[in-house]
Amino acid sequence: MKTRGVSIAACLTVTTLLVASCSGGGDGDDGPVTLEFQSLSDQPAAIEATEKIVGEWNDAHPDVQVEIVPTGWDGVYDKLITQFNGGAAPDIIHYEAASIVPFARDGYLADLSEHMSDERRADIPEGVLDSVTVDDQVVAYPTELQSYMVFANKKLLQDAGVDIPTGETMTWDELREIAKATTKGETYGLGWGLSSPTATFMTMAPGFGGEFFTGSGADAQITVGEGEMALPELVDQMAYEDESILPVTLTQSGSESIASFYAGQTAMTVQGSYQAANIAKDAPKDMDWVVLPPLEGPAGSGQAANPQTLSVNIDSEHVEESAAFIEFFTEAENLAALNEADALIPATTSAQELMRKNLGDENGWDTILASGQHFSSAPYLFVDAYAQWKDTVATPAYQRYLAQEIDADELADQLTSGWDEITS
Amino acid sequence: MRTVARPLVRPAQYVALACYIVFLGFPLLWLISASVKSSGELNSLTVSLLPSEWHWQNYSDALARQGLVRSAANSAVVALTSTALVILIAMPAAYVLARLKGAFRVAGVGWILVSQVFPVILIILPLFLILRTMNLTDSLVGLTLVHTTYTLPFALWMLQGYVAGIPTELEEAGSMDGASRLSVLRRIVFPLLAPGIVATAMFSFVSSWNEFFFALVLLQSPENYTLPITLTSFIGGEGKVALGPLAAGSFLAAIPSIVFFSIMQKKLTGGLMAGAVKG
Amino acid sequence: MTAPAPTTTASAPGGPVRPTRRRGGMERARRREAAALVMPSLLPILVLSVAPLVMGIALAFTDARLVRHPDYEFVGVDNFVRLAGNSFFWDSFRIGMIWAVSVTILQLVLALGLAQLLNSGLRLQSLTRVLALIPWAMPPVVVAIMWKMIYSPNAGPLNALLGALGLPDDINWLADFSTALPAVIVVGVWVGMPQTTVTLLAGLQQIPGELHEAASMDGAGAWRRFTAVTWPSLRPIVASITSLNFIWNFNSFSLVYVLTEGGPGGRTMLPMLFTYLEAFKNRNIGYAAAMGVVLVVVVVLLLAVYLRSQFRDDRAVQKG
Repeated sequence: MKTRGVSIAACLTVTTLLVASCSGGGDGDDGPVTLEFQSLSDQPAAIEATEKIVGEWNDAHPDVQVEIVPTGWDGVYDKLITQFNGGAAPDIIHYEAASIVPFARDGYLADLSEHMSDERRADIPEGVLDSVTVDDQVVAYPTELQSYMVFANKKLLQDAGVDIPTGETMTWDELREIAKATTKGETYGLGWGLSSPTATFMTMAPGFGGEFFTGSGADAQITVGEGEMALPELVDQMAYEDESILPVTLTQSGSESIASFYAGQTAMTVQGSYQAANIAKDAPKDMDWVVLPPLEGPAGSGQAANPQTLSVNIDSEHVEESAAFIEFFTEAENLAALNEADALIPATTSAQELMRKNLGDENGWDTILASGQHFSSAPYLFVDAYAQWKDTVATPAYQRYLAQEIDADELADQLTSGWDEITS
Repeated sequence: MRTVARPLVRPAQYVALACYIVFLGFPLLWLISASVKSSGELNSLTVSLLPSEWHWQNYSDALARQGLVRSAANSAVVALTSTALVILIAMPAAYVLARLKGAFRVAGVGWILVSQVFPVILIILPLFLILRTMNLTDSLVGLTLVHTTYTLPFALWMLQGYVAGIPTELEEAGSMDGASRLSVLRRIVFPLLAPGIVATAMFSFVSSWNEFFFALVLLQSPENYTLPITLTSFIGGEGKVALGPLAAGSFLAAIPSIVFFSIMQKKLTGGLMAGAVKG
Repeated sequence: MTAPAPTTTASAPGGPVRPTRRRGGMERARRREAAALVMPSLLPILVLSVAPLVMGIALAFTDARLVRHPDYEFVGVDNFVRLAGNSFFWDSFRIGMIWAVSVTILQLVLALGLAQLLNSGLRLQSLTRVLALIPWAMPPVVVAIMWKMIYSPNAGPLNALLGALGLPDDINWLADFSTALPAVIVVGVWVGMPQTTVTLLAGLQQIPGELHEAASMDGAGAWRRFTAVTWPSLRPIVASITSLNFIWNFNSFSLVYVLTEGGPGGRTMLPMLFTYLEAFKNRNIGYAAAMGVVLVVVVVLLLAVYLRSQFRDDRAVQKG
């Protein structure tokens, strides 16, 4: 009985592998082509915007019909990895650069370089395009972006005698000074949700010249020097020397730390730009708030781009049609409508301009959209073991540092030696 | 009943029970509270069970969410079918497992343990391929079979424990009457197992009703989605959670389970036992 | 399909098979009968569980990666050798053991108390029984979000309650280095309570009331009745449910991951998280399978020791 069980299993194993490798032949019917579009849009307005765009496409292209497959962000990575390995991935895949690049490196995504129009290529800021370019192949169209912005409570700033900065950008020193000035009594200058610090530090490191990685793929090397350490050290100084950061927010997520901002416990808060829409909706009615200019470090105001993306499955039978649909999807009007619904920053300059025209400077949109031109591509996107390093080395080490369990030297050492151990 | 002699025991029991209920029930209470609060209130620092303003819109938002009702129906079909299947096929096998000793039992028990420890993420790819060759991915039938298969080890393991607790004398008495083994099983063993069967049925219903990973990976068409998959659509990228509608949707989703529990728990009583022994 | 011959030295409390009946034809019929009873369970398990599992284990001896058109080869025990030197994995093993053992024990103790209460004829029994099952009624996605709200340092009901009682109300439960692990253990216990309670309750129901009555007549007190009647009858079920709880707890990481993402500073990093990262994020499925195999071996060894001791006690009881 036992041996038979094993042999049945073995037979099954072999047959499955055979069938799996043989399946996937063309179905060769002449009817209209149907493309599966796995969409992650989650806001009701964004779902509507997506449906509208797809509806327009379907009306104009009776022979290439696009079918939306709505999927949640939660668990989509696990779903995709199974779909790709099981040969059942959809044609068009909505995701984000940091998570889709590994799939491209493993050969699952079609090269869209040839399908992307020159117009579109010129319209996407260079840093953003770089973030979806793997080994000189464009593996995705970027669609939506977010940047980290500082939101401020006007009244608390004015009470502290601080002039609200209005320039093109604002330096980190200015932020530190304002935070110090507004810290008094029960009020702290800044609330910053850093419970998952790695993403924030990676995103904002370019402003300090921090790169973290050189090379790509399996050969990437880590450097943790001045540029990489500058921001954590600044946070540490603000939190423990100046005591101008509300300590509890350092252990909260961005959206958790926003409650202290609403309650007037913090005069400013660092948040993803999309929070502008939530603040407009959720803040107490009598609160007067403003978006401060983009932060600028010694190396500029750049933030690492991690755009949402649209890619095409390399095994799709209709790569060309899928690319044409994405090309249509990323036209200025469509991107502007989608980003407005999601409160995000469009990945093309023309859509940013259109959105600025539509929204004016309501809720700080002017300032937020302006940050859309300062994105740069970050090396971490193209590093093989990044996800593992982030979860098992970097995040614990940063948390220990922010809780003052270790000092800056130990942090730098843990970040580097952890990387060495993982990649050895 | 038997504690009459000690007057303090009863009140102490009630206090202890109340503590349990608070511990186990409070999160649901908080969920209900969140389901009637506006997002502004959910993002404030005021802690209160009752909302300052009743925000029923969360419920209409939740119900307006594509396919919440249909996915609840899918979940119910999958959960009920797999529960019935599990009980039906696990009962006889558990009996054999419990009563026949030796190598077979060791192999059976060992298998159950191994199958539960090996990480699902390592099984999912081969499983996906097998189901695909049978054309059972993106199908509720496939999901039902998977849920059945992965609840079976638990059902076998528990049921054999309950069988082991039944004194064999009862069975032997039955066999002496000249009844066949199957009729002994049907007339004596299964009725005696009733509480164990109910407990197992509740477990297999719940684990299928709440199951997320297999459903996430195996189902592709939105019309096949089960409830947990639809509920996660309230959780967006970058940690954006539509907390109010999520709470409202989850509370609505909890109602069928609670109804199911209320029906099943009645069967978790000793009354059945007494009848069975007499019969 | 060869069901093993029933042994004459019946090991557990009185097997149904009496030696006098051991005759060829009879036995063959019994085997066939047993086969028929087991087959319906065996079939789906073989196809949907054994087959994928065998494939999964086989991967542990290869350098397989999750890439398009992979070609991989047999590498013997290389993966295991490499794993032996992975200090992150072994560090998390300790946390995994603390987590699994404490959750399992607390679940058992608390559920045993609750099951007794629910079985002692208190008022509103049907209501309280349903209320005890509430954790089951919440899907896992929601459980983590709810508990995060409850534990919230500045907007959570737990700290509000402590404040109202005049206790410190600024504990940052999930982010403090000393409270994070206990806090997630509480959630783990909460989630598993209905399962354990219902199982034990069903076990209590199975104990014939006459046994209790007989013990009472002999003048046994509540504790004596528990140790003399309840506990021995419940033993097989307790052994079953604790083993399974232990496995499930050891195996779970998604609940904790959503609560704390392994933080603060890695204090709640469970070993299964490494398997997940290695398999899906690094796509080194071969290496990850080796981790899976190691986890299986360790857990099965632990349980074998535990179950063996249970088994031996059973024998002793029977002989005595």
